[in-house]
Amino acid sequence: MAVTKEEILDIALLSKLWVDESELDKLTEDMAGIIAFADTINAVGESAEDFDNINNLSNVFREDTVVPSYDRSLILKNVNGGENGYFPVKKRM
Amino acid sequence: MSYELVAGLETHIELSTNTKIFCGCTTAFGAEPNTNCCPVCIGLPGTMPKLNRRVVDYAILAGLATNCEISPISKMDRKNYVYPDLPKAYQVSQYDKPLCERGYITLSSGKRINITRIHIEEDAGKLVHERGDTYVDYNRGGVPLIEIVTEPDIRSIEEAIEYVEKLQLIMKYIGVSDVKMQEGSLRCDVNISVRKKGDEKFGTRAEIKNMNSFTFMAKALQYEFERQVDLLESGERVIQETRRYNTDTGETEAMRGKEDAHDYRYFREPDLVTIQTSPEDIARLREMLPELPEQKLARYVADYGIPEADAQLIVKYRKVAEYFDAVVSKIQNPKTASNFIVGQIFKALSTEAAKEELALSVSSEMLAELIRLLESGKINMGMAKSTLDKMLETGKHATELLSQEDMAGLDENALRNHCMEAIAANPAAVKDYQSGKEKALKAILGAVMRATKGRADAAAAEKLLIELITK
Repeated sequence: MAVTKEEILDIALLSKLWVDESELDKLTEDMAGIIAFADTINAVGESAEDFDNINNLSNVFREDTVVPSYDRSLILKNVNGGENGYFPVKKRM
Repeated sequence: MSYELVAGLETHIELSTNTKIFCGCTTAFGAEPNTNCCPVCIGLPGTMPKLNRRVVDYAILAGLATNCEISPISKMDRKNYVYPDLPKAYQVSQYDKPLCERGYITLSSGKRINITRIHIEEDAGKLVHERGDTYVDYNRGGVPLIEIVTEPDIRSIEEAIEYVEKLQLIMKYIGVSDVKMQEGSLRCDVNISVRKKGDEKFGTRAEIKNMNSFTFMAKALQYEFERQVDLLESGERVIQETRRYNTDTGETEAMRGKEDAHDYRYFREPDLVTIQTSPEDIARLREMLPELPEQKLARYVADYGIPEADAQLIVKYRKVAEYFDAVVSKIQNPKTASNFIVGQIFKALSTEAAKEELALSVSSEMLAELIRLLESGKINMGMAKSTLDKMLETGKHATELLSQEDMAGLDENALRNHCMEAIAANPAAVKDYQSGKEKALKAILGAVMRATKGRADAAAAEKLLIELITK
Protein backbone atom coordinates (compact mmCIF):
# COMPACT_ATOMS: atom_id res chain seq x y z
CA MET A 1 0.00 0.00 0.00
CA ALA A 2 1.37 3.38 -0.99
CA VAL A 3 1.75 6.16 1.54
CA THR A 4 1.53 9.77 0.57
CA LYS A 5 3.50 12.66 2.01
CA GLU A 6 0.18 14.22 3.05
CA GLU A 7 -0.63 11.16 5.15
CA ILE A 8 2.76 11.39 6.86
CA LEU A 9 2.05 15.04 7.69
CA ASP A 10 -1.41 14.07 9.03
CA ILE A 11 0.05 11.42 11.31
CA ALA A 12 2.73 13.86 12.47
CA LEU A 13 0.04 16.38 13.34
CA LEU A 14 -1.95 13.85 15.37
CA SER A 15 1.21 12.86 17.21
CA LYS A 16 2.13 16.51 17.79
CA LEU A 17 5.43 15.97 15.97
CA TRP A 18 7.01 18.68 13.85
CA VAL A 19 8.37 17.25 10.64
CA ASP A 20 10.90 19.11 8.55
CA GLU A 21 10.39 19.21 4.78
CA SER A 22 13.85 17.65 4.34
CA GLU A 23 12.84 14.58 6.41
CA LEU A 24 9.66 13.92 4.49
CA ASP A 25 11.03 11.70 1.71
CA LYS A 26 12.90 9.47 4.14
CA LEU A 27 9.91 9.19 6.50
CA THR A 28 7.56 8.33 3.66
CA GLU A 29 9.89 5.60 2.50
CA ASP A 30 10.28 4.21 6.06
CA MET A 31 6.53 4.20 6.60
CA ALA A 32 5.98 2.40 3.29
CA GLY A 33 8.38 -0.29 4.52
CA ILE A 34 6.48 -0.68 7.80
CA ILE A 35 3.15 -0.97 5.98
CA ALA A 36 4.61 -3.51 3.56
CA PHE A 37 5.60 -5.61 6.57
CA ALA A 38 2.06 -5.31 7.98
CA ASP A 39 0.73 -6.42 4.59
CA THR A 40 2.89 -9.55 4.85
CA ILE A 41 1.25 -10.37 8.18
CA ASN A 42 -2.21 -9.64 6.79
CA ALA A 43 -1.49 -12.05 3.94
CA VAL A 44 -1.38 -14.91 6.45
CA GLY A 45 -5.15 -14.55 6.47
CA GLU A 46 -5.91 -15.21 10.16
CA SER A 47 -8.75 -13.26 11.67
CA ALA A 48 -7.94 -10.84 14.46
CA GLU A 49 -10.12 -13.00 16.70
CA ASP A 50 -7.49 -15.72 16.75
CA PHE A 51 -4.94 -13.33 18.22
CA ASP A 52 -7.31 -12.02 20.84
CA ASN A 53 -6.27 -14.25 23.67
CA ILE A 54 -2.94 -15.52 22.54
CA ASN A 55 -1.56 -16.05 26.07
CA ASN A 56 -4.76 -17.80 27.10
CA LEU A 57 -5.05 -15.65 30.20
CA SER A 58 -8.16 -13.94 31.48
CA ASN A 59 -9.43 -12.25 34.61
CA VAL A 60 -6.22 -11.13 36.22
CA PHE A 61 -7.46 -8.67 38.83
CA ARG A 62 -6.28 -6.74 41.86
CA GLU A 63 -8.45 -6.28 44.93
CA ASP A 64 -9.65 -2.75 45.63
CA THR A 65 -7.20 -2.15 48.49
CA VAL A 66 -5.31 1.10 48.87
CA VAL A 67 -1.53 0.93 48.60
CA PRO A 68 0.43 4.03 49.74
CA SER A 69 1.23 6.34 46.83
CA TYR A 70 4.73 7.55 46.04
CA ASP A 71 6.31 10.52 47.71
CA ARG A 72 5.62 13.58 45.58
CA SER A 73 9.30 14.43 45.31
CA LEU A 74 9.78 11.11 43.49
CA ILE A 75 6.76 11.65 41.27
CA LEU A 76 8.06 15.08 40.22
CA LYS A 77 11.70 13.99 39.92
CA ASN A 78 11.66 13.92 36.10
CA VAL A 79 10.45 17.52 35.94
CA ASN A 80 13.13 18.88 38.28
CA GLY A 81 10.82 18.78 41.28
CA GLY A 82 7.91 20.44 39.49
CA GLU A 83 6.37 23.79 40.42
CA ASN A 84 4.26 24.15 43.58
CA GLY A 85 3.62 20.44 43.54
CA TYR A 86 2.46 20.41 39.90
CA PHE A 87 3.86 19.22 36.61
CA PRO A 88 4.44 22.37 34.54
CA VAL A 89 3.24 22.24 30.93
CA LYS A 90 5.64 23.68 28.38
CA LYS A 91 4.23 26.57 26.44
CA ARG A 92 3.57 25.83 22.77
CA MET A 93 4.13 28.35 20.04
CA MET B 1 -40.95 24.95 8.90
CA SER B 2 -40.72 23.25 12.25
CA TYR B 3 -37.68 21.31 13.33
CA GLU B 4 -37.12 18.60 15.86
CA LEU B 5 -34.14 17.95 18.05
CA VAL B 6 -32.32 14.62 17.88
CA ALA B 7 -29.86 13.87 20.65
CA GLY B 8 -27.84 11.07 22.13
CA LEU B 9 -25.94 11.26 25.38
CA GLU B 10 -22.56 10.08 26.57
CA THR B 11 -22.42 10.14 30.34
CA HIS B 12 -19.18 9.68 32.24
CA ILE B 13 -19.58 8.50 35.80
CA GLU B 14 -16.71 8.32 38.29
CA LEU B 15 -16.92 5.05 40.22
CA SER B 16 -16.63 5.23 43.98
CA THR B 17 -13.98 2.55 44.38
CA ASN B 18 -11.25 2.92 47.00
CA THR B 19 -8.45 2.73 44.49
CA LYS B 20 -7.72 3.71 40.90
CA ILE B 21 -8.51 1.43 37.97
CA PHE B 22 -4.99 0.08 37.36
CA CYS B 23 -3.01 0.79 40.56
CA GLY B 24 -3.51 0.90 44.32
CA CYS B 25 -3.43 4.71 44.65
CA THR B 26 -6.40 6.14 46.52
CA THR B 27 -9.22 7.87 44.64
CA ALA B 28 -9.84 10.26 47.59
CA PHE B 29 -10.90 13.70 46.39
CA GLY B 30 -9.25 16.96 47.48
CA ALA B 31 -5.69 15.81 48.26
CA GLU B 32 -2.62 17.99 47.61
CA PRO B 33 -1.69 17.88 43.90
CA ASN B 34 0.20 14.81 42.69
CA THR B 35 0.19 13.09 46.08
CA ASN B 36 -2.13 10.22 45.03
CA CYS B 37 0.22 9.06 42.30
CA CYS B 38 2.59 6.24 41.44
CA PRO B 39 4.61 5.22 38.37
CA VAL B 40 1.59 3.38 36.90
CA CYS B 41 -0.85 6.32 36.99
CA ILE B 42 1.71 8.89 35.81
CA GLY B 43 2.43 6.60 32.88
CA LEU B 44 6.12 5.87 33.35
CA PRO B 45 7.53 3.45 30.76
CA GLY B 46 7.86 -0.14 31.89
CA THR B 47 5.04 -0.03 34.42
CA MET B 48 2.28 -2.60 34.21
CA PRO B 49 -1.41 -1.91 34.87
CA LYS B 50 -3.51 -4.41 36.84
CA LEU B 51 -7.28 -4.15 36.64
CA ASN B 52 -9.27 -3.39 39.80
CA ARG B 53 -11.85 -6.17 40.20
CA ARG B 54 -14.40 -3.82 41.76
CA VAL B 55 -14.38 -1.61 38.65
CA VAL B 56 -15.60 -4.56 36.58
CA ASP B 57 -18.20 -5.47 39.22
CA TYR B 58 -19.52 -1.91 39.44
CA ALA B 59 -19.75 -1.55 35.67
CA ILE B 60 -21.68 -4.82 35.42
CA LEU B 61 -24.00 -3.68 38.23
CA ALA B 62 -24.63 -0.47 36.29
CA GLY B 63 -25.34 -2.59 33.22
CA LEU B 64 -27.76 -4.88 35.03
CA ALA B 65 -29.58 -1.91 36.56
CA THR B 66 -30.08 -0.42 33.09
CA ASN B 67 -31.28 -3.65 31.46
CA CYS B 68 -28.05 -4.28 29.54
CA GLU B 69 -26.68 -7.55 28.23
CA ILE B 70 -23.35 -8.38 29.87
CA SER B 71 -20.63 -9.43 27.45
CA PRO B 72 -19.15 -12.84 28.25
CA ILE B 73 -15.83 -11.69 26.76
CA SER B 74 -14.55 -8.16 26.98
CA LYS B 75 -11.17 -6.43 26.64
CA MET B 76 -9.37 -3.14 27.06
CA ASP B 77 -8.05 -0.94 24.23
CA ARG B 78 -5.76 2.04 23.89
CA LYS B 79 -7.32 5.27 22.64
CA ASN B 80 -4.50 7.46 21.39
CA TYR B 81 -4.47 11.21 21.72
CA VAL B 82 -1.87 13.69 22.77
CA TYR B 83 -2.78 16.07 25.57
CA PRO B 84 -0.89 17.01 28.74
CA ASP B 85 -3.56 15.60 31.09
CA LEU B 86 -2.90 12.13 29.66
CA PRO B 87 0.66 11.13 30.56
CA LYS B 88 0.83 7.97 28.43
CA ALA B 89 -0.58 9.77 25.35
CA TYR B 90 -3.27 7.11 25.29
CA GLN B 91 -6.27 6.43 27.48
CA VAL B 92 -6.97 2.83 28.38
CA SER B 93 -10.62 2.39 27.45
CA GLN B 94 -12.79 -0.16 25.64
CA TYR B 95 -13.45 -0.03 21.92
CA ASP B 96 -15.23 -2.92 20.23
CA LYS B 97 -15.89 -5.18 23.22
CA PRO B 98 -17.44 -3.12 26.01
CA LEU B 99 -18.58 -4.83 29.21
CA CYS B 100 -22.28 -4.06 28.70
CA GLU B 101 -24.44 -3.55 25.60
CA ARG B 102 -28.03 -3.01 24.50
CA GLY B 103 -29.81 -1.70 27.60
CA TYR B 104 -32.44 0.96 28.18
CA ILE B 105 -33.95 3.37 30.65
CA THR B 106 -37.71 3.98 30.60
CA LEU B 107 -38.92 7.58 30.92
CA SER B 108 -42.10 8.49 32.80
CA SER B 109 -43.92 8.73 29.46
CA GLY B 110 -43.17 5.05 28.93
CA LYS B 111 -40.69 5.85 26.15
CA ARG B 112 -37.44 3.90 26.21
CA ILE B 113 -34.08 5.56 25.76
CA ASN B 114 -31.89 2.79 24.42
CA ILE B 115 -28.40 2.39 25.80
CA THR B 116 -25.86 1.34 23.19
CA ARG B 117 -23.07 0.41 25.56
CA ILE B 118 -21.39 0.86 28.91
CA HIS B 119 -17.62 0.63 29.02
CA ILE B 120 -14.90 1.17 31.60
CA GLU B 121 -11.94 3.51 31.23
CA GLU B 122 -9.46 5.63 33.15
CA ASP B 123 -9.97 9.32 33.87
CA ALA B 124 -7.34 11.86 32.83
CA GLY B 125 -5.48 14.28 35.13
CA LYS B 126 -6.59 17.82 35.77
CA LEU B 127 -5.13 20.89 34.11
CA VAL B 128 -4.76 23.97 36.29
CA HIS B 129 -4.35 27.34 34.61
CA GLU B 130 -2.65 30.07 36.57
CA ARG B 131 -1.36 33.45 35.41
CA GLY B 132 -0.96 32.28 31.84
CA ASP B 133 0.82 29.09 32.82
CA THR B 134 -0.57 25.56 32.80
CA TYR B 135 0.08 22.85 35.36
CA VAL B 136 -1.04 19.25 35.72
CA ASP B 137 -2.30 17.39 38.76
CA TYR B 138 -2.43 13.63 38.10
CA ASN B 139 -4.39 12.73 41.25
CA ARG B 140 -7.50 12.16 39.09
CA GLY B 141 -5.48 10.30 36.45
CA GLY B 142 -6.47 6.64 36.57
CA VAL B 143 -9.65 7.13 38.57
CA PRO B 144 -12.16 4.61 37.17
CA LEU B 145 -14.99 5.82 34.96
CA ILE B 146 -17.89 4.19 33.21
CA GLU B 147 -19.15 5.77 30.02
CA ILE B 148 -22.81 5.18 29.23
CA VAL B 149 -23.71 5.84 25.60
CA THR B 150 -27.30 6.12 24.34
CA GLU B 151 -28.77 5.77 20.90
CA PRO B 152 -29.96 9.05 19.30
CA ASP B 153 -33.40 8.47 20.84
CA ILE B 154 -33.82 11.77 22.65
CA ARG B 155 -36.22 14.26 21.05
CA SER B 156 -36.46 17.10 23.55
CA ILE B 157 -34.56 18.90 26.27
CA GLU B 158 -37.03 17.53 28.82
CA GLU B 159 -36.30 13.97 27.71
CA ALA B 160 -32.55 14.58 27.94
CA ILE B 161 -32.85 15.89 31.48
CA GLU B 162 -35.22 13.17 32.63
CA TYR B 163 -32.87 10.53 31.24
CA VAL B 164 -29.90 11.95 33.13
CA GLU B 165 -31.94 12.32 36.33
CA LYS B 166 -33.12 8.72 36.09
CA LEU B 167 -29.62 7.48 35.36
CA GLN B 168 -28.23 9.48 38.27
CA LEU B 169 -30.83 8.08 40.65
CA ILE B 170 -30.22 4.48 39.55
CA MET B 171 -26.47 4.88 40.08
CA LYS B 172 -27.12 6.36 43.52
CA TYR B 173 -29.34 3.41 44.45
CA ILE B 174 -26.83 0.79 43.36
CA GLY B 175 -24.10 2.74 45.14
CA VAL B 176 -21.43 2.65 42.42
CA SER B 177 -20.90 6.41 42.38
CA ASP B 178 -21.93 9.54 44.23
CA VAL B 179 -22.91 11.02 40.79
CA LYS B 180 -22.49 14.67 41.77
CA MET B 181 -22.69 16.77 38.64
CA GLN B 182 -21.20 19.88 40.25
CA GLU B 183 -18.19 17.91 41.52
CA GLY B 184 -17.63 16.24 38.19
CA SER B 185 -18.44 12.68 39.21
CA LEU B 186 -21.20 12.76 36.57
CA ARG B 187 -20.38 14.52 33.30
CA CYS B 188 -22.48 14.67 30.16
CA ASP B 189 -21.59 15.14 26.53
CA VAL B 190 -24.50 15.52 24.14
CA ASN B 191 -24.54 14.74 20.44
CA ILE B 192 -27.18 16.96 18.96
CA SER B 193 -28.59 17.48 15.50
CA VAL B 194 -31.80 18.90 14.09
CA ARG B 195 -34.04 17.78 11.27
CA LYS B 196 -37.29 18.87 9.75
CA LYS B 197 -40.25 17.25 11.45
CA GLY B 198 -41.22 14.15 9.54
CA ASP B 199 -37.76 13.60 8.03
CA GLU B 200 -36.26 10.19 8.63
CA LYS B 201 -32.66 11.08 7.94
CA PHE B 202 -30.61 12.49 10.80
CA GLY B 203 -28.89 15.85 10.36
CA THR B 204 -25.19 16.49 10.89
CA ARG B 205 -24.45 16.47 14.59
CA ALA B 206 -22.33 18.54 16.87
CA GLU B 207 -21.03 17.31 20.20
CA ILE B 208 -21.31 19.60 23.21
CA LYS B 209 -19.05 19.09 26.19
CA ASN B 210 -18.68 20.80 29.55
CA MET B 211 -22.19 20.67 30.93
CA ASN B 212 -21.95 20.37 34.68
CA SER B 213 -25.50 21.13 35.79
CA PHE B 214 -29.04 20.44 34.61
CA THR B 215 -29.61 24.16 34.18
CA PHE B 216 -26.59 24.55 31.90
CA MET B 217 -27.52 21.41 30.03
CA ALA B 218 -30.99 22.78 29.28
CA LYS B 219 -29.57 26.15 28.22
CA ALA B 220 -26.82 24.63 26.09
CA LEU B 221 -29.26 22.33 24.26
CA GLN B 222 -31.71 25.18 23.66
CA TYR B 223 -28.94 27.42 22.32
CA GLU B 224 -27.48 24.70 20.12
CA PHE B 225 -30.89 23.70 18.77
CA GLU B 226 -31.63 27.29 17.76
CA ARG B 227 -28.13 27.77 16.33
CA GLN B 228 -28.47 24.71 14.09
CA VAL B 229 -31.99 25.64 12.98
CA ASP B 230 -30.78 29.17 12.11
CA LEU B 231 -27.93 27.72 10.06
CA LEU B 232 -30.26 25.47 8.08
CA GLU B 233 -32.86 28.20 7.62
CA SER B 234 -30.24 30.52 6.18
CA GLY B 235 -29.12 27.82 3.77
CA GLU B 236 -25.87 27.00 5.58
CA ARG B 237 -24.69 23.65 6.83
CA VAL B 238 -24.00 22.33 10.31
CA ILE B 239 -20.37 21.31 10.68
CA GLN B 240 -19.53 18.12 12.54
CA GLU B 241 -17.42 19.36 15.42
CA THR B 242 -16.93 19.41 19.17
CA ARG B 243 -18.35 22.45 20.92
CA ARG B 244 -18.13 23.71 24.45
CA TYR B 245 -20.86 25.48 26.42
CA ASN B 246 -19.59 28.79 27.74
CA THR B 247 -21.40 29.43 31.01
CA ASP B 248 -20.52 33.14 30.90
CA THR B 249 -21.96 33.94 27.47
CA GLY B 250 -24.64 31.24 27.50
CA GLU B 251 -23.49 30.17 24.03
CA THR B 252 -21.83 27.10 22.60
CA GLU B 253 -18.52 27.66 20.85
CA ALA B 254 -16.34 25.50 18.62
CA MET B 255 -13.56 23.66 20.49
CA ARG B 256 -11.93 21.53 17.88
CA GLY B 257 -11.93 22.49 14.24
CA LYS B 258 -12.13 20.17 11.30
CA GLU B 259 -8.37 20.19 10.70
CA ASP B 260 -7.99 18.53 14.10
CA ALA B 261 -10.47 15.75 13.31
CA HIS B 262 -9.21 13.08 15.61
CA ASP B 263 -8.19 9.66 14.71
CA TYR B 264 -7.82 7.74 17.93
CA ARG B 265 -6.05 4.76 16.36
CA TYR B 266 -7.58 2.31 18.80
CA PHE B 267 -5.76 -0.95 19.34
CA ARG B 268 -5.84 -3.64 21.97
CA GLU B 269 -4.11 -2.86 25.27
CA PRO B 270 -1.46 -5.59 25.26
CA ASP B 271 -0.66 -5.23 28.97
CA LEU B 272 -4.14 -6.32 30.11
CA VAL B 273 -5.76 -9.70 29.64
CA THR B 274 -9.26 -10.59 28.52
CA ILE B 275 -12.16 -10.07 30.93
CA GLN B 276 -14.46 -13.09 31.02
CA THR B 277 -17.79 -12.87 32.77
CA SER B 278 -19.57 -16.14 33.53
CA PRO B 279 -23.31 -16.60 34.11
CA GLU B 280 -22.37 -17.32 37.76
CA ASP B 281 -20.61 -13.93 38.04
CA ILE B 282 -23.69 -12.24 36.62
CA ALA B 283 -25.98 -14.11 39.00
CA ARG B 284 -23.80 -13.14 41.97
CA LEU B 285 -23.92 -9.46 40.95
CA ARG B 286 -27.63 -9.53 40.19
CA GLU B 287 -28.09 -10.78 43.75
CA MET B 288 -26.33 -7.62 44.97
CA LEU B 289 -28.72 -5.27 43.16
CA PRO B 290 -30.98 -3.42 45.58
CA GLU B 291 -34.60 -2.62 44.82
CA LEU B 292 -34.38 0.05 42.12
CA PRO B 293 -36.25 3.40 42.18
CA GLU B 294 -38.84 2.31 39.62
CA GLN B 295 -39.60 -0.91 41.50
CA LYS B 296 -39.92 0.98 44.78
CA LEU B 297 -42.27 3.50 43.19
CA ALA B 298 -44.48 0.75 41.81
CA ARG B 299 -44.55 -1.01 45.18
CA TYR B 300 -45.44 2.14 47.12
CA VAL B 301 -48.30 2.93 44.78
CA ALA B 302 -49.66 -0.58 44.26
CA ASP B 303 -49.07 -2.22 47.64
CA TYR B 304 -49.31 0.77 49.97
CA GLY B 305 -51.85 2.90 48.09
CA ILE B 306 -49.63 5.97 48.36
CA PRO B 307 -50.42 8.76 45.88
CA GLU B 308 -47.93 8.62 43.02
CA ALA B 309 -46.77 12.20 43.55
CA ASP B 310 -45.87 11.45 47.18
CA ALA B 311 -44.22 8.17 46.25
CA GLN B 312 -42.13 10.01 43.62
CA LEU B 313 -40.91 12.45 46.25
CA ILE B 314 -39.85 9.65 48.59
CA VAL B 315 -38.15 7.58 45.91
CA LYS B 316 -36.24 10.60 44.62
CA TYR B 317 -33.90 10.42 47.63
CA ARG B 318 -32.38 7.03 48.30
CA LYS B 319 -31.90 7.66 52.02
CA VAL B 320 -35.45 8.95 52.43
CA ALA B 321 -36.79 5.83 50.71
CA GLU B 322 -34.73 3.60 53.01
CA TYR B 323 -35.99 5.59 56.01
CA PHE B 324 -39.57 5.21 54.83
CA ASP B 325 -39.11 1.45 54.36
CA ALA B 326 -37.66 1.17 57.87
CA VAL B 327 -40.61 3.07 59.41
CA VAL B 328 -43.19 1.08 57.44
CA SER B 329 -41.76 -2.22 58.68
CA LYS B 330 -42.65 -1.19 62.25
CA ILE B 331 -46.15 0.26 61.81
CA GLN B 332 -49.53 -0.70 60.36
CA ASN B 333 -50.44 2.01 57.86
CA PRO B 334 -47.68 3.08 55.41
CA LYS B 335 -49.75 6.08 54.32
CA THR B 336 -49.41 7.64 57.77
CA ALA B 337 -45.63 7.43 57.42
CA SER B 338 -45.60 8.88 53.89
CA ASN B 339 -47.83 11.78 54.98
CA PHE B 340 -45.50 12.64 57.84
CA ILE B 341 -42.44 12.35 55.60
CA VAL B 342 -43.57 14.41 52.63
CA GLY B 343 -45.23 16.87 55.01
CA GLN B 344 -43.49 17.82 58.23
CA ILE B 345 -40.23 15.98 57.69
CA PHE B 346 -39.62 17.43 54.21
CA LYS B 347 -40.40 20.85 55.65
CA ALA B 348 -37.64 20.30 58.20
CA LEU B 349 -35.29 19.03 55.48
CA SER B 350 -35.63 22.25 53.53
CA THR B 351 -32.72 21.91 51.10
CA GLU B 352 -32.03 19.28 48.44
CA ALA B 353 -28.78 18.42 50.21
CA ALA B 354 -30.58 17.89 53.53
CA LYS B 355 -33.03 15.49 51.88
CA GLU B 356 -30.21 13.77 50.03
CA GLU B 357 -28.25 13.25 53.24
CA LEU B 358 -31.34 12.81 55.43
CA ALA B 359 -29.90 15.22 58.02
CA LEU B 360 -32.54 14.39 60.60
CA SER B 361 -32.62 14.12 64.41
CA VAL B 362 -35.63 11.79 64.32
CA SER B 363 -34.63 8.19 63.61
CA SER B 364 -36.91 5.77 61.77
CA GLU B 365 -37.50 4.00 65.09
CA MET B 366 -38.57 7.29 66.73
CA LEU B 367 -41.04 8.11 63.97
CA ALA B 368 -42.39 4.57 64.09
CA GLU B 369 -42.88 4.90 67.85
CA LEU B 370 -44.90 8.09 67.37
CA ILE B 371 -47.04 6.47 64.67
CA ARG B 372 -47.67 3.46 66.90
CA LEU B 373 -48.96 5.79 69.64
CA LEU B 374 -51.30 7.25 67.05
CA GLU B 375 -52.36 3.87 65.69
CA SER B 376 -53.12 2.52 69.14
CA GLY B 377 -55.36 5.51 69.84
CA LYS B 378 -53.20 6.77 72.70
CA ILE B 379 -52.81 10.12 70.96
CA ASN B 380 -54.76 11.76 68.16
CA MET B 381 -53.55 13.20 64.87
CA GLY B 382 -53.35 16.77 66.14
CA MET B 383 -51.13 15.71 69.02
CA ALA B 384 -49.02 13.50 66.78
CA LYS B 385 -48.35 16.43 64.47
CA SER B 386 -47.41 18.85 67.21
CA THR B 387 -45.26 16.19 68.89
CA LEU B 388 -43.43 15.47 65.62
CA ASP B 389 -42.61 19.17 65.28
CA LYS B 390 -41.13 19.12 68.78
CA MET B 391 -39.22 15.92 67.99
CA LEU B 392 -37.73 17.48 64.86
CA GLU B 393 -36.71 20.49 66.91
CA THR B 394 -35.28 18.72 69.95
CA GLY B 395 -34.33 15.24 68.76
CA LYS B 396 -36.26 13.81 71.71
CA HIS B 397 -38.46 10.71 71.68
CA ALA B 398 -42.24 11.13 71.56
CA THR B 399 -42.49 9.37 74.91
CA GLU B 400 -40.19 11.99 76.46
CA LEU B 401 -42.23 14.86 75.08
CA LEU B 402 -45.71 13.55 75.91
CA SER B 403 -46.91 13.24 79.50
CA GLN B 404 -48.62 10.13 80.82
CA GLU B 405 -51.85 12.07 80.75
CA ASP B 406 -51.29 13.05 77.08
CA MET B 407 -50.86 9.41 76.15
CA ALA B 408 -53.79 8.18 78.20
CA GLY B 409 -56.00 8.61 75.21
CA LEU B 410 -59.75 8.78 75.74
CA ASP B 411 -61.88 5.72 75.78
CA GLU B 412 -65.41 5.78 74.45
CA ASN B 413 -66.95 6.38 77.88
CA ALA B 414 -64.66 9.25 78.85
CA LEU B 415 -65.32 10.95 75.51
CA ARG B 416 -69.06 10.50 75.96
CA ASN B 417 -68.88 12.08 79.44
CA HIS B 418 -66.93 15.06 78.14
CA CYS B 419 -69.43 15.53 75.31
CA MET B 420 -72.41 15.39 77.65
CA GLU B 421 -70.77 17.94 79.94
CA ALA B 422 -70.10 20.26 77.03
CA ILE B 423 -73.72 19.99 75.85
CA ALA B 424 -74.98 20.77 79.33
CA ALA B 425 -72.67 23.79 79.63
CA ASN B 426 -73.64 25.31 76.24
CA PRO B 427 -77.44 25.29 76.03
CA ALA B 428 -77.52 28.30 73.66
CA ALA B 429 -75.25 26.68 71.13
CA VAL B 430 -77.23 23.45 71.32
CA LYS B 431 -80.42 25.35 70.61
CA ASP B 432 -78.80 27.16 67.67
CA TYR B 433 -77.60 23.89 66.21
CA GLN B 434 -81.01 22.32 66.61
CA SER B 435 -82.56 25.27 64.79
CA GLY B 436 -80.29 24.63 61.80
CA LYS B 437 -77.12 26.65 62.52
CA GLU B 438 -74.59 23.95 61.85
CA LYS B 439 -71.71 26.23 62.78
CA ALA B 440 -72.90 26.31 66.37
CA LEU B 441 -71.55 22.81 66.79
CA LYS B 442 -67.99 24.18 66.63
CA ALA B 443 -68.44 25.98 69.93
CA ILE B 444 -69.47 22.78 71.67
CA LEU B 445 -66.68 20.81 70.04
CA GLY B 446 -64.22 23.50 71.16
CA ALA B 447 -65.39 23.00 74.72
CA VAL B 448 -64.77 19.25 74.45
CA MET B 449 -61.27 19.81 73.04
CA ARG B 450 -60.44 22.31 75.81
CA ALA B 451 -61.71 20.00 78.52
CA THR B 452 -59.67 17.10 77.17
CA LYS B 453 -56.57 19.26 76.51
CA GLY B 454 -56.65 18.22 72.87
CA ARG B 455 -56.56 14.50 73.57
CA ALA B 456 -59.98 13.88 72.09
CA ASP B 457 -60.17 12.75 68.49
CA ALA B 458 -61.99 15.74 67.00
CA ALA B 459 -63.74 13.73 64.30
CA ALA B 460 -65.00 11.13 66.77
CA ALA B 461 -66.10 13.85 69.20
CA GLU B 462 -68.03 15.68 66.48
CA LYS B 463 -69.82 12.55 65.45
CA LEU B 464 -70.74 11.76 69.03
CA LEU B 465 -71.96 15.31 69.71
CA ILE B 466 -74.31 15.21 66.73
CA GLU B 467 -75.58 11.86 67.86
CA LEU B 468 -76.23 13.12 71.42
CA ILE B 469 -77.83 16.42 70.35
CA THR B 470 -80.12 15.03 67.67
CA LYS B 471 -81.23 12.03 69.71
